Amino acid sequence: MEVLRAFVNSPIGPKTTHFWGPVFNWSLPIAAFLDTKKPPEVISGNMTAVMCGYSALFMRFAWVVQPRNLHLLVCHACNETVQLYQLSRWIKAQQ
Amino acid sequence: MASSKLQALWNHPAGPKTIHFWAPTFKWGISIANVADFAKPPEKLSYPQQIAVTATGIIWSRYSTVITPKNWNLFSVNIAMAGTGIYQLTRKIKHDYFSEAEPAVASE
Repeated sequence: MEVLRAFVNSPIGPKTTHFWGPVFNWSLPIAAFLDTKKPPEVISGNMTAVMCGYSALFMRFAWVVQPRNLHLLVCHACNETVQLYQLSRWIKAQQ
Repeated sequence: MASSKLQALWNHPAGPKTIHFWAPTFKWGISIANVADFAKPPEKLSYPQQIAVTATGIIWSRYSTVITPKNWNLFSVNIAMAGTGIYQLTRKIKHDYFSEAEPAVASE
């Protein structure tokens, strides 16, 4: 219970936008995960490659921003993973 | 002089020596990629992806004004993301639900 209370009142807790920003950011890896079940023709090579660079940079950003945002870091780590997978599917479909 | 203004920018807490500059700058790539995808036929657009781009653009515009350092570069890039996402969504919705005598509608 104490852990929960500490979280709710923390600088990146649910009373702050530092929580809700990353919550919405989860829509990106979730969308990509849904798209892994679809044929590779719906993958945008441009967008996916950019997402790979974007999440790599934002993992670093999440670490150094004030307040430090581990929630955001995890979100971007997941996005990086799924976007790299989608990129590999797209590359394979080009051959 | 002009050089001291440039120096002030160069040394800014969200300036080009920091990730607070490069992360948002790279994020422009998402909007640019989306603009390139304006040419794609709507059948090839992904609802989940465009909804995600729009939603994150909107909420991150707010987020970027309350973090330290405050980041206008991040703010403007998220406004652009929301804009391109909304445009792509209207294109796709128009195509799927409002075009006349389309076989795509029959298969819905």
